[in-house]
Parts: sequence; C-alpha cells; structure tokens
Amino acid sequence: MLLLKLAIRNIFRQRRRSLLTALSMSGGYVLCAISFSVSEGSYNNAIRFFTLDHTGHVQIHKGNYLRRPKLHKTIDDPAALSETLDNNDNIEHHTLRVFAPALAYSDTDNTQVNVIGVDPTREKRTSRLAKKVTSGNYISDKVNPDSYYSAMIGTGIATSLNISIGDELILISQGADGSVANDIYIVGAIVGNKDSLDKSSVFLPLDAAQEFLSMQGKIHEVAILLKDESKSREFAASLQKQLPELSIDPWQIVEETFYMTMQADQQGMQAMLFIIIFIVFIGVLNTILMSVLERTREFGVLKAIGTRPKTIVSLITLETALLSMMSFFVGLVFAIPIIAWFAFVGIELPEPVDFGGVQLRFFTGEISTYVFATPLAWIMFFALLVCIPAGIRAGRILPTQAMGSH
Amino acid sequence: MTPVITTRDICRYFGDDEDILVKAVDHVSIDIEPGEFTAVIGPSGSGKTTLLHLIGGLDNPTSGIVELSGTNIAQMSAAELSDFRRDHIGFIFQAYNLIPVLSAEENIEYIMLLQGIDAATRKQRVHNMLAQVGLDGLGRRRPNKLSGGQQQRVAIARAMASRPDIILADEPTANLDSRTGIALLDVMRELNEEHKMTFVFSTHDEKIMSRATRLIHMHDGEIEKDERK
Repeated sequence: MLLLKLAIRNIFRQRRRSLLTALSMSGGYVLCAISFSVSEGSYNNAIRFFTLDHTGHVQIHKGNYLRRPKLHKTIDDPAALSETLDNNDNIEHHTLRVFAPALAYSDTDNTQVNVIGVDPTREKRTSRLAKKVTSGNYISDKVNPDSYYSAMIGTGIATSLNISIGDELILISQGADGSVANDIYIVGAIVGNKDSLDKSSVFLPLDAAQEFLSMQGKIHEVAILLKDESKSREFAASLQKQLPELSIDPWQIVEETFYMTMQADQQGMQAMLFIIIFIVFIGVLNTILMSVLERTREFGVLKAIGTRPKTIVSLITLETALLSMMSFFVGLVFAIPIIAWFAFVGIELPEPVDFGGVQLRFFTGEISTYVFATPLAWIMFFALLVCIPAGIRAGRILPTQAMGSH
Repeated sequence: MTPVITTRDICRYFGDDEDILVKAVDHVSIDIEPGEFTAVIGPSGSGKTTLLHLIGGLDNPTSGIVELSGTNIAQMSAAELSDFRRDHIGFIFQAYNLIPVLSAEENIEYIMLLQGIDAATRKQRVHNMLAQVGLDGLGRRRPNKLSGGQQQRVAIARAMASRPDIILADEPTANLDSRTGIALLDVMRELNEEHKMTFVFSTHDEKIMSRATRLIHMHDGEIEKDERK
C-alpha cells in the first residue's frame, strides 16, 4: 500500500512532466482507438455487405462444388436439409439456390448469362437481392396468366439484349439429364447497375430454374445467415460434423481472396499503429529515464535503508503502469464520443460507393471492446517494456555513489 | 562479550594507478561491543564516512573482512545485503535523506513495511518513536515542512523504528546549528541507553565528541587512536 502511495505521489511530484507524458500516451491511445474503430468499421461493413449481398455467413454444397462447380454436383434432398436448418437455433435464415451458365436471346440479340435459381421468399430474407431491384417487381414463384415465369435480369443483359420490363427472354442451356434446356420468361425486374456483380445474372424462381435445368427438385447451394456472424467458422465446423456428406464452409473460405486481402490490409494497418505507439513510447522512455536519473540519490537512499533492487524496479513499473492507466482513462474520455460519432453517424461520402450493387453512402466506425481494449493492451505492453531499461538502471544504482549525486 | 561489529584489516582504495591511488581506509581493525556509543572522529578526508559505508555494507572493501553480528557481509548477494541492512542496520545520514513524497510518519514506517511488520505494530512504533524524538503532532508533515533538526529527528526515528542491532550515523549533526546538534546527540544518547542499541557515528565536532563513550581517531585512512571513556 505504501509502495502504491509512493508511486502515486511520485507521479504527481512532477505534475507538468507527468501531464505531458500522460497526454502523449492519451493522444496515442485516442489515435489508435479511432483508427481501430474506423478500420474495423470499414472491414465489418465490407464483410456485412459482402455476406448479405449473396455469400451469407456459411454455405453448403455437394463435394467440391465450391471449387469446381458442375451441374450434376447437387444436394439431392433440399427439403430435409432445409428442415434441419430451420430447427437450428443459431441460424437466422437460409436460402436455396441453383446455378447454370446459359445463352440468353431477345428478338434481335443474344448474350452469355449466369442463371441463378432462388427461392423468392427465403432469398428475400437471406440476401439483399430484393433491395437491388432498380425497376420492376421482385420475382415470384407464381406464373403469369400466360403461364410464363418472370425473371429478373442484370443491367448488362438488359443493355446487351436491348430488353426491359415486360419483354420476353429466351434461355438456352444444358439440362442436368443431358437434354437441351430452353424456355421463355418475362422480364419482371432489372437488378443493380452497370457495375454490379449481377450485371450478367438472370434470377429465376427456384422451381422454374429446377424445371428449366431438369434438376428434379435438387439444388447446388444453401446460403445461411447466422444470428451471430462472428461464429461462422465455429458454426461451419459444428454443422460439418452433423452433415458429413456435404461440404460446409464459412464465408472466409467461400470468399477466400476477399478475406485474405482484407486480413493483409488489416495487418498492415495494425503494423502502422504499432509503430505510432512505439514512437509515442520512445518519448515515454525518455521521461521515465529522466525521472530515474533525477531520483538517483533517492533510489540510493532506498537501497541503503534496505529496499531490494527488485522493489525499486517494482516501484518504477507501478508508477509507469499507473500513469498509463490514467492516460487510458483520459484517452477514453476523448475516444468514446469520437468513436460513438463514427459508429452511429459516420462520414457521408461525397459519392456513394457501389458494393456489389449495394450503395454505400456512409463511412462508419465500429464501437466494441476490441476497439478500446487493443490499444490499451499495446500501451500497457510498451509501458512495461520501457520500464525494463529504467528499472535495470535504478536497480543497479550503488548507494554510496547515488547518495553522492545531486 | 561478542563484538557486534568486527573489521579485520579492511582497506578501501580508490583508483587503479599507483600514482593516484587514494587509500580512503587502510588496514583498519576494530571491534565494537553491543551498546557502545562510538564516535569516529577525524578531519575531512580522514576516511570516517568510508569506514561507516564499509561497516554498513554500502561499499565493499578492497581487502579485509567486515563482520556484523558474526556475519561476513562481503559474501552476501545484493538482495541478501539489502535484507541484512533492512533488519540489522539503521542509517542516519548527514543530509537526512528522507523520502520527500512521504510524511514523517510514513518515512518512519517505510522500513518496517519492508520488514513485513503488521500495521498495528507499525503504527504503535511510529507513534512511540515520534514521541521519543520529540516530534509529537508533526507526523503528518512532509520533510519540506520540517526544519533541518526536525528532519534529522525523523531520520533517527526511521533508523531506530526497525529495531536494528547497530545504528550508523554519518556526521548526523553537520548540517545543524550546534545547539540543535547537541540536542540531537542527547536524543541519540538517551535512546542508546534506553534500548542498549549500538551507535557508531562520525563527526569532527568536538562538542559532539564529548557525548561519545568511545572515540576512534582516524587520520589518512588509518586509526590513529582508539580510546574508551
């Protein structure tokens, strides 16, 4: 207790210097916490938009469909699988999909397209597909009075084929049974814009797509939205044990390139912040060494009257740790409102950024324990690190020499 | 009676070159009995302070043996020496050397805290020591709010509170006026008689010397004369 009292009083002994040191540490903390918030915010936004756009948090396929998609690599009993997933408490929603390349024709033109069959109701809950409709109406699994299913097409197709809402779209492909698949659909909606990932996609109701591709109720993919997106890896691993005959992958595997790029970017950011904190602590080291130098005589006396070298090292460490904690609390006072503003208001971008057809209008931050605790952990780490040379110096002081110094 | 302090042929030389070798303490052998009130006297540079430092384990002799209560302190590690000083030696310095951020009470309490003495005993001893050195009511003051004489009284209380075997005082009155210095020596003498604690102090003040029961005269690092009263 007396050691703590001694440490606190030593901090307040040189008020101005302690204040300046604390401010530099607080500044470093605030800078780091904001940077973490903004970077985490951007990454999480990107992940959120990416996963909600089409990937989901976890996907289920048959075999190696994810790496080598083939029409015949199907999940054969989607109804039973769907029931299993509906009963899983960790799952918010899931949707079923089929995929196939096809040729699309209008009266005058043709182009290559990706046919995506989706369950209209489930897809609306699981992805942002419904929100990406720029004109027309979201697809329905009902046929129109002329017995045609409606299709949603990307803007690229609308431009290439020069068609719009209400026009006919002819699709030709190969069926799963080897037959030639062809059918006519009515364009019900246009999806996204010219830069969207969906610009060459044709979205059909799942039943219509299965019928078109002769898939007899089979599907290629299940996309799952979890209640807790951070548990995607654990959830995928646990579901994999439950469904060993299928391949279950978290979004980090499904979108591996995106994930790796994001990780590399995040590590680069952390390295930069680490350097900033390191520079701040060179200044702190200087202050602590100066303080030890000024108190050489006092440390000499403490040693002379029976204080062990390690107790002196503990005293210096305690002083630095206390100063760091005080700096942290001061920093927190400034960091909380700034981070809260970034998280709840954010910066409105002058031009909206298109992200897979989704318009990002705000640049927002993240408010979480990680954002506040990580810079604190770094500050404490560096604070204890700078105590080593200062402590060694103080611990080695010879009482007779020290007491002769002023 | 077994001496509480024994030095055998101790030397402390500074400098490596023979031409500039300073023999601060040169072949000094002394025995100090328990309860003695010994003054080491001599002019400045005679080796008084160095001798006290060697006895107190604050410095290592170039050669020779220092034994305190039968223990050769030269064979101790830094931590062992710290513990030994804490438990067996009380120091009073010329410049008081109190911890500036601690109050008088806390300065006195500090060594007892290192010794692991319980809070109640510490408080009781602090109270008693302050009364004995005549500083009742000034315990909460920090050193900068005390006069030189008062600070030195706190230093005496600090040195004695841990109940050491020996108290070493290096020119304890040098920074005080003669009246305060003599008063302080009287306090030390009373404590010596009351607690039978061994005091060894250096001085070159003749008025102070008169209070000692033994005088060790030093000159150029050597003992010139050793007289008991």
